[in-house]
Amino acid sequence: MNIVLVGNPNVGKSVIFNAFTGSYVTVSNYPGTTVDVSKGIGKFGIQKFSVIDTPGINSLTPHSEDEKVTKDILSKSDIAAIVQVADSKNLKRSLALTLQLIELKIPMVLNLNMSDEARERGIRIDVKRLSEKLGIDVVRTVAITGDGIARLKDAVVRAKVPSPKIPDLNNAAFLKSSDLVTLNRRSRMVNSILGDCLNVSRPSKNKLSETIGRITTRPITGVPILFLVLIAMYLFVGKFAAGKGVDFFENTVFGKMINPFFINVINKYIGISLVRDFLIGDYGIITMAVTYAFAIIFPIVTAFFLFFGILEDSGYLPRLSVLSDRIFKTMGLNGRAILPMVLGLGCGTMATLTARILDTKKERILVTLLLTLAIPCSAQLGVVMGMLSSLSVKAFLLWVTILLAVMIMVGFGASKLVRGARSPFIQEIPPIRMPQLKNISIKTFARLKWYLKEAVPLFVLGTVLLFACDRLGLLKVIENIFSPLIVTLLGLPQKATEAFIIGFLRRDYGAAGLYALSKAGLLDSIQILVSLVVITLFVPCIAQFFVTIKERGLKTALVISAFVFVSAFLVGGILNFGLRYLLAQGISVI
Amino acid sequence: MEKNKRREEALSIVWEDREKKIYGAQAVRDKISQKVEEDIFPELIREGYLAEERGLVKFTTSGEALAKDVIRRQRLAERLLVDVLEIGRGEMDSAACEFEHILSKEVVESICTLLGHPTECPHGLPIPRGECCAKAKDLLESIVIPLSKLEPGEAGRIVYVLTHEHPQLHKLMSLGIVPGARISVHQVSPSVVIQVEETQVALEEEIAKEVYIKRLRGTS
Repeated sequence: MNIVLVGNPNVGKSVIFNAFTGSYVTVSNYPGTTVDVSKGIGKFGIQKFSVIDTPGINSLTPHSEDEKVTKDILSKSDIAAIVQVADSKNLKRSLALTLQLIELKIPMVLNLNMSDEARERGIRIDVKRLSEKLGIDVVRTVAITGDGIARLKDAVVRAKVPSPKIPDLNNAAFLKSSDLVTLNRRSRMVNSILGDCLNVSRPSKNKLSETIGRITTRPITGVPILFLVLIAMYLFVGKFAAGKGVDFFENTVFGKMINPFFINVINKYIGISLVRDFLIGDYGIITMAVTYAFAIIFPIVTAFFLFFGILEDSGYLPRLSVLSDRIFKTMGLNGRAILPMVLGLGCGTMATLTARILDTKKERILVTLLLTLAIPCSAQLGVVMGMLSSLSVKAFLLWVTILLAVMIMVGFGASKLVRGARSPFIQEIPPIRMPQLKNISIKTFARLKWYLKEAVPLFVLGTVLLFACDRLGLLKVIENIFSPLIVTLLGLPQKATEAFIIGFLRRDYGAAGLYALSKAGLLDSIQILVSLVVITLFVPCIAQFFVTIKERGLKTALVISAFVFVSAFLVGGILNFGLRYLLAQGISVI
Repeated sequence: MEKNKRREEALSIVWEDREKKIYGAQAVRDKISQKVEEDIFPELIREGYLAEERGLVKFTTSGEALAKDVIRRQRLAERLLVDVLEIGRGEMDSAACEFEHILSKEVVESICTLLGHPTECPHGLPIPRGECCAKAKDLLESIVIPLSKLEPGEAGRIVYVLTHEHPQLHKLMSLGIVPGARISVHQVSPSVVIQVEETQVALEEEIAKEVYIKRLRGTS
């Protein structure tokens, strides 16, 4: 039997899910964090139930993909209870959904979450009266602190089919139709129910969080704040983690301790040179795959996930949609697209899934294309920042400008080619909240675990591939075949081909390969910039490619990949020749 | 055509001609005959709606009052059809023509208030003022205006949401943007950011133009 968590977006369903099951699904402060259904097992008293977390919905009338998914789950027969998670301070919206859920005639409980925030705003809810009217148990919680979770669990076990004491509700038929008249009728009914259950006293005005919220969306203050955030990220992820952190791990931890230890042991005990090289050679699993994964990428993604977690939980990200709406309009999108794009800076694979929050098919295709093309993922971004911080801030800005220019041009062009409509910009903005250290550390930890699970095997696979190609003499052949592209067009050393080969598996692995080349002093500043632009624009990693197939279909995924591959080299070539031409004229841009 | 309708039609022609500075009695009479398919000009003079002086046509006081009322109804009906129901120009002309004759005084006043006491019809011709418009001048806050016209810091109560597409309306409603809801405006550029109850929503201007509100004075 299942327990299904349902509710409006950004009310804390995933926090409740985590509290019920003891597992962890990502929790953030913006609507649309959960795009997929999660399942887990939870113990309620002596019984065990399977718990299902669903994407947030505003109505059971299936308009959006999320609403369809949730409706499907609710129409299954083996539901022990529905737990509707509601935002206590936004009860009107929650009750509109409650009225629809009641019609399903499935045992349910109404959970008034975030009751602390409601209290702060002077909102008092008569839980007992509300419970009597709706004919269901109503339980208050503050899920992030665990307050009320035990009572909620008790209520879930006791849950009964609703027996509402509202005269007109029995033949209200809110489920069947969603025409204007029905919607109006429903909102009137909600108002009449809340009339004597809700008491709002004047809230204390001008809270600090509201002030912060407002200045982040006004261009005059919001744009400088955005720059400050970017600079802070550059310093923390680029300078600190990718510079000092990687240095420490690569040179001290791996260079002086781990690698010498393994090299020592292996040289001593393993006689077969093939096996030895396989482990600690140029393309050795330990010396290449493990070193890249743990010494170069790991410190960077840790820093990035920490920083990003703070941004996510503060409620800052959706506010960017207000500032960026007009820019996205030139690309046939609207400000809502900023969410998947910014999430893409974390992980393109996850972000491709998040494209689901967009309303039209055209928008989803455009965002998937731009994610594949122009958005570097965290690991890659960190490596790029690390390499460019060794050049100059100007080089970093140039790299950002090129990517933005390519993105806007491609977006503009593609929006004319891809058929379909743009949807209007309507975005809910969550309140600014103080990020909770506990959630950020759990989230970062969960993401790192996921990262290691997903990335390390591919790093190993890529290394094995390189090792095999090298042994079979194929590497030379491939390098020669691609020489016109890599050497002639991009002006890079032939060895850079390896970075692009492993870049097919993961772009961050490719970037790490370039990092190693540049550290070895094999790349000049133009080569660094060109190679970084190309590897950023390059084809998505394998995981992102598969998700793109799953979400958008094979044909679209192939077209996108082919387009991205060609444009990456084209832009890289133009950049290479342009910069060299300028240099010959005595102009050094970097 | 029944008699009342014919009379209203004829008087509105005289009003329109007066706007175009056409006063020639013969020309006006011909036009009326053509439009209502009957030569009722002499009848209108006999009934005391019009007067003829030296070949020029003139309204009597009662004639002018009736014509003003007819024109007002007609042009408000046009506005209603175009603004709220989004009926195309061509269709509008024929529909409004029928519509105006069945509007009672109370309904006309409500329509005028709902539309925010518009001053021009969709063709750009002036709409004669009514009693409600005079009252509205004193009570500015009762005017229904699009949300996009509010300044940051102002507040209003939603009167209606124009429907372009169903999913869009549905989305707005599920965010709490429903008639009767109180909203306040945080900022208007580059996007409109509003607060409805405890929900903050960012909207593009095109959507903000479709949400009609009554401005609330005082507290924001």
